[in-house]
Amino acid sequence: MGFAASLILGGISVGAVYALIALGLNLTFLTTRTLNFGQGSVMMLAAVAAVLFAGQGMGLYAALLAGIVLVGLVGGLTEVIAIRPIAKLGGSMGWVVTTLGIGIFLQGFVAKYFGSQALAFPSFLFSPRDYVSVFGVRLSAQYLVILAIALVLVLAFEYFLKRTAWGRALQAVAMDPDLASVMGVPVRKVVTLSYVGSGILAGIAGILVAQITGTVDSAFGFNLLIFGFVAAVLGGIGNTWGALAGGLFLGVTEKLVGGYISTAAEQGIAFALLMLALAIRPEGLLGEKEVVKV
Amino acid sequence: MIELKNVNVAYGNIKALHDINLIARPGEITAVLGANGAGKSSLLKAIAGAVQSASGSITINGEDLTRMPTHLRARKGVSLAMEGRRLFRGLSVEENLSIAWSFGPRRTPFAQALEQVYQSFPILKERRHGKSGMLSGGQQQMLIVSSVTIREPQYMLLDEPSLGLAPIIVQQIFGFITHYSNSRQTTVVLAEQMAAMALQIADQGYVLRHGRIVMQGTADELKKADVVSQLSAAYL
Amino acid sequence: MNALRQTVSKILGHPATIIVALLVLWFWPASTDRSTVQLLSFVMLNILLAQSINLLTGVAGQISLGHAGFFAIGAYGSALLVKSAGAPVIAAIFGGTAITAVVGWLLAVPAGRVKEFYLAMMTSGFGLLCFEIIKEWNDVTGGVMGLSGIASPTLKSLTILGMKIDGIDYFRILLVAAAIVLWLLRNFIQSHHGRAFFAIQASEIAAGSIGIDQARTKRRAYSISAAIAGLAGAFYAHLVGYLGPDSFTIMRSVEVLVMAVVGGIGTIIGPILGAVLFTYLPSKLQAFAAYQFMVYGLILMVVFLLFRKGFAGAIAEPARFIPGRALRAVGLTAAGVPARVDASAAQTAQSSVAAAGHQTDAAPLLEVRDLVKRFAGLVAVDGVSLALHPGRITALIGPNGSGKSTLVNVASGIYTPSSGQVILRGKEIGGQASHAIAAQGVIRTFQDPRLVPSFTVRENILLGAHLRYRSSMIASALRLPGVMKEEQAHLLRATQVMEVAGLSGVADQLLESLPYGYRRLTEVARAMMADPDVLMLDEPAAGLSEGELGRLAEVIRYIKSQGKSVLLIEHHMDFVNDIVDDVVVLDSGRVIYRGDMSGMRRDPAVIEAYLGIQQVAHD
Repeated sequence: MGFAASLILGGISVGAVYALIALGLNLTFLTTRTLNFGQGSVMMLAAVAAVLFAGQGMGLYAALLAGIVLVGLVGGLTEVIAIRPIAKLGGSMGWVVTTLGIGIFLQGFVAKYFGSQALAFPSFLFSPRDYVSVFGVRLSAQYLVILAIALVLVLAFEYFLKRTAWGRALQAVAMDPDLASVMGVPVRKVVTLSYVGSGILAGIAGILVAQITGTVDSAFGFNLLIFGFVAAVLGGIGNTWGALAGGLFLGVTEKLVGGYISTAAEQGIAFALLMLALAIRPEGLLGEKEVVKV
Repeated sequence: MIELKNVNVAYGNIKALHDINLIARPGEITAVLGANGAGKSSLLKAIAGAVQSASGSITINGEDLTRMPTHLRARKGVSLAMEGRRLFRGLSVEENLSIAWSFGPRRTPFAQALEQVYQSFPILKERRHGKSGMLSGGQQQMLIVSSVTIREPQYMLLDEPSLGLAPIIVQQIFGFITHYSNSRQTTVVLAEQMAAMALQIADQGYVLRHGRIVMQGTADELKKADVVSQLSAAYL
Repeated sequence: MNALRQTVSKILGHPATIIVALLVLWFWPASTDRSTVQLLSFVMLNILLAQSINLLTGVAGQISLGHAGFFAIGAYGSALLVKSAGAPVIAAIFGGTAITAVVGWLLAVPAGRVKEFYLAMMTSGFGLLCFEIIKEWNDVTGGVMGLSGIASPTLKSLTILGMKIDGIDYFRILLVAAAIVLWLLRNFIQSHHGRAFFAIQASEIAAGSIGIDQARTKRRAYSISAAIAGLAGAFYAHLVGYLGPDSFTIMRSVEVLVMAVVGGIGTIIGPILGAVLFTYLPSKLQAFAAYQFMVYGLILMVVFLLFRKGFAGAIAEPARFIPGRALRAVGLTAAGVPARVDASAAQTAQSSVAAAGHQTDAAPLLEVRDLVKRFAGLVAVDGVSLALHPGRITALIGPNGSGKSTLVNVASGIYTPSSGQVILRGKEIGGQASHAIAAQGVIRTFQDPRLVPSFTVRENILLGAHLRYRSSMIASALRLPGVMKEEQAHLLRATQVMEVAGLSGVADQLLESLPYGYRRLTEVARAMMADPDVLMLDEPAAGLSEGELGRLAEVIRYIKSQGKSVLLIEHHMDFVNDIVDDVVVLDSGRVIYRGDMSGMRRDPAVIEAYLGIQQVAHD
């Protein structure tokens, strides 16, 4: 019981983070049908920046906040320089390549100026050793807090989307940008803000991952992007609850496979799931099939 | 008042409107008639800013709209109901109305504005939480027109609201439009293929063919029996 | 500017240049040091890699972020065949290549079903999966420690056919292999097979409408691309003698993409330039290593905005997609009799035009019976029956939303019928795939002409004859004499078609540079090349000028004179009036009138449908 439970809890916690990454991807997908292929580097940048700011004397929580704000701005910048100009040109290869380019650039930048060794990431949510006893089972406090943070964010995001004017505006832009425009929605602003929001979510996810692993280095990133994407695809891209469900499913599956089959297969299983999901049901468990008008 | 002077619209190399001159006055319904492809939608979209006019000027009450982006024109009181019964189909009736209201002038509180809509169209109240994509054609059109009026527009542009609807529903919707625009002195431009129905409520009309105005006049002039054959020649 | 680019292309593509380059490369290593020879070997490998991704991404339009995976499979495949199975090196290299080709084919099955960024993610996933497998499958791949002791010139352990192979010999083998692969690739891209890849990139739906089997073409693209990457991998294994997972990371996939994109995708010369640049730079600029990622990142960020056609596109006019030899044999102008033409080629062309002939029987070619098409609650087509006869032009008209386009989409195989039948020459075809229906002689055009923008008018039109080509991929790659004969025959026919369509003057101009009217006419001409029995045109008159309308009418009349059946969806009543035999009017998915144009104008049901005015019937 103990072994499986700890695997599952670990999986849920990691999965919750994947869900956050997926949420960030969903956000930009909704408004522009694009994703930031450099999202991994954005996550890394938030964590690295936080460590550096803290090292410069900023309080830990202030440093974390600063890191998140920084990548929010990077997100907005990404939309302006990588998405908007390409949208004018049409086609789909363009933004994949430009956002990928930004990600690689950031990775190189951090590696060049701050070294490619792993930086230790300070514990701000309890220490890895703290635990809570629930029904006699010892559960890591860190994992529980991360799970709580992720759940709160997912709920907040759903609330934002469904119950605020700007959230509805976002849905409007997602469904029919021309119609939204004639209704007075400032579409361009919504699009840029969706990229800022996506950056913020990525930053939070990055910091949480760094908290779990204890370190951050310039290369952590691309794999996480793929995991986030797998979560998004499994749940149905564009669907908030789907992102959560997909993330949790992926996290738990990974940990169970790692625990019972082999740690070697832990990462590989995600990629295999991705290919399978895309091949069988690209719209995900909760998504709707896209109809293309001829 | 909406005024178009020598407006040309092109999509890439394809010319959709040639030298359009048109005036629509407050408190009046101006019909824009013609077969598909004649340019009716392009005309309305050009006014709303959904397509960019290549040349000529579009003014509302003397204010030049030509360089203004779409959502700002909407803020100025231009409200377009696009062709094809376009709605946010994945959202409910109330959510659609909420978006329309949220980005409008908000002179009336939402609850009150909503009640006004439900009074005119009780069926929408019944279906308020249902997905708008699930409504019947007529109900969708009622919702679309309500999304326009909930913004209390000064300039109402309606693109083929009668499309595919039974005559009795069309009467209902047209009745609502007439009543609304009379009481508020709204400038209404109504694009319709079904000339007969449109001319019943319009004050004046323009007939388009291949992007040009080929006939114009008051509604009475256009309704005369011998004009009908000219009309059908314009269409067919 | 253009003249300069054309001159550069002429020089680069000239056989003399190629021979000189090969000779220089052959003899150079003998007079230089070992590290330069190694570098040159890497250049060859990267050329192969860049070409492989170019074929899949640049030509067929399927983005790949996982090419390192194919590279790895070829490398480990060949190494393991030598080490564990004791196979001779040449056999192992072929083996590694073959295994990679099979994996590519298998990947195409799921990958072919998704597009754009889903595809980018899936290929990333593939690449990462390969990496994980290499890293973790210790027993087979050596895991993180890697595979060492692979036969290679570096370790002085490579023998082929009993002869000891040193660094220079190995380089020469690579040179020859790369040259052969490039030659085969060039032939392939300039054949109808290659052009079909471009058609898939431009529009899968349009490709299907001229009979190109999209799924099968994609599988071919994947397997050929994988094979070339696998070949590079196999050569790599035996070059360095050691394999570890670090050579096959996602960054390697990105590097391969960068090489091709910067060099210029869609051309042969582009990836060569990109490979040379990105092999040479990192090794010569020590400082480069530290900035490598940043430079790659910046390049990716700007390349699509500033240099869409890459380096090659900036300095040279890309090679065209029809073999020069065939063009010269046929003559470049359409006017007059082509000089020096193969007699048999001319005959084939004549007979294919004549074979069209005149059909005199009155049985309908294509029929729909009680056709219904529903979309989630909306009935677009509500029990429509109509018949198309040979040698007759039928107009299909009706107000917005009447179901005209949907009807044509069902008849051409883009949608399946909800109920009712589609019958071609007495055989039920409802529900078949669009390319299969096209193969049976039903071709349609689209409201928005979907052509390959980077092709000339001639190349686009030639796509229409895709189904009539018989040459196999291998024959095309080897450019056997039969292949040239076939090209010439179709080129002759294309010339005649262009004559009819009034496109002779712009035959060799790029489509993207021409105004809309030409694109429309090119699309119709392409349909004519397919020599269909039934031609369905979806709003062809939209956006055409007076002169262009006249030309279009002539073309349609010509098609009718060949005994074909034409269905015309149109709003442009004047245009329709002059050429049609029959009119069918739809309203809300039902037929409300059948007859001729003048009757239609007076028909009360039609007038009511269009104007809403009730008319008392009068004559």
